[in-house]
Amino acid sequence: MSTSLVIDTSTNRTVVGVVTDGKLIWSGHRDGATAHGPSLPLLVTEAIAQHSIDQVIVGMGPGPFTGLRVGIAFAHTFARARNIEVIGVCSLDAIAAHIDEKDFIIATDARRKEWYWARYTKGIRIGDPAVSFPADVEKLGTTVHFGLFPDLISMTQLATQNTIAEPMYLRRPDAVATADRT
Amino acid sequence: MSQPIVLGIETSCDETAIGIVQGRTLLANVIASSVEEHARFGGVVPEIASRAHLEAMMPSIEKALIDSKLSLADIDAVAVTAGPGLVGALLVGVASASGLALGLSKPLYGVNHLAAHVSVDFLAHDQPLEPTIALLVSGGHSSLLQVDDITQSITKLGATMDDAAGEAFDKIARVMKLGFPGGPAIDALAKGGNTTAINFPRGLTTTNDWETRPFDFSFSGLKTAVARYLESTPDYVKADVAASFQESVVDVLMLKAIAACKESGIDSLVIAGGVAANSRLRAVATQRCERAGIRLRIPSPALCTDNGAMVAALGSLMVAAGRSPSPMAFDADSGLPVTTVAL
Repeated sequence: MSTSLVIDTSTNRTVVGVVTDGKLIWSGHRDGATAHGPSLPLLVTEAIAQHSIDQVIVGMGPGPFTGLRVGIAFAHTFARARNIEVIGVCSLDAIAAHIDEKDFIIATDARRKEWYWARYTKGIRIGDPAVSFPADVEKLGTTVHFGLFPDLISMTQLATQNTIAEPMYLRRPDAVATADRT
Repeated sequence: MSQPIVLGIETSCDETAIGIVQGRTLLANVIASSVEEHARFGGVVPEIASRAHLEAMMPSIEKALIDSKLSLADIDAVAVTAGPGLVGALLVGVASASGLALGLSKPLYGVNHLAAHVSVDFLAHDQPLEPTIALLVSGGHSSLLQVDDITQSITKLGATMDDAAGEAFDKIARVMKLGFPGGPAIDALAKGGNTTAINFPRGLTTTNDWETRPFDFSFSGLKTAVARYLESTPDYVKADVAASFQESVVDVLMLKAIAACKESGIDSLVIAGGVAANSRLRAVATQRCERAGIRLRIPSPALCTDNGAMVAALGSLMVAAGRSPSPMAFDADSGLPVTTVAL
């Protein structure tokens, strides 16, 4: 029997759950695009009050950078403190698990009027997640599901199949080298 | 009973730093800097710094544990810089610290970066916590503080109205093409120059300024004066410009720091922050404090720049003073006032 603490901060919702053998035994969330910092420890405090944790699973994005890093940083130090494993998964894949359709796109808010998105055919992601303007994604002509949040049980399944080691930023930092300035 | 062991995390700017302190003894001080990644941008790029913090966090914690020959189970409390600083950078530290504290079931102290800079001095001696004036000078801050009790009572006497002292060094270094960060480059170049070659202005030192804002600083006029001098003097002597510019900054800092000591009746001065590593500031401060009968303490250069030891030190002083830990959930505060020593 294994119990996972599942964390995702890739959207404007901080999501935390405890999953034991494929069953969600505790879950909670707090909304706020800039509230991940205080939200996460509050949720985890509640989550671990009744449950002993064997591994940590964390959404690696793509997602707005600052919030995304809160979940990843927290997951790593928490896991290290307990001497347990931490596994990263693609947050969009965990959202896609909600949808039972042959061909669809999952999109989340990337700010700056753009979306993070990925396309799924028969439940499998086609290519890498990307960041684009909504009009360019809609042009592809398949159903777009926007505004959903990762499914916690799916995150534990993804952790055994398709793990992600690095945060999925998809954008470079905004900065112009002094030499390139006009 | 042996003294409590505190692990401190600092990520307010471009240094990912972990310190471990037992009581007032420094056990580890690991600093991973992303400064080289920022050099080609001429200054710290917040998003680059934040990404680097996340990458460096776990390796830095592991290194600090190895250096101190401790395991995480030995840690009694976690301290972290809650502000002021770059908010995205601070959040990596705060999230890491709360994960660590919750994982270990140990108390968490969210502390003030500026207060931490001052508190690192307590690692250098065993004297009781006595009131002191503190001059805090770095790339992001230039403040004069009255520290009555480092764990709970700090008053801001004054601060810069525009650029921080370290920022002025960076900007002058940029126009003189000396690279980033500018402090060490100007310090080195100035050693071969004449401090009185050019009479650069001393910001906020008119009679009126001494009456209305005696402990505030301004370095933007100096910056403009240096830039104008460079433009109008094609055959300028680099070393003389560096030495004269540096002298202006150092002179004003020390005039105001000593005035603050005299006005408050506190005959103790601590100088901290990255600019406290400047050799000319250290020399002038030593001379002038001796003359004024002020006890001067400046941490070693390695402990002047941003580091984790200072955060651990403040956490350790908080534990020793019996102060309450921070609430389990708090936000990083990019503008945290120095009067808030801990959350």
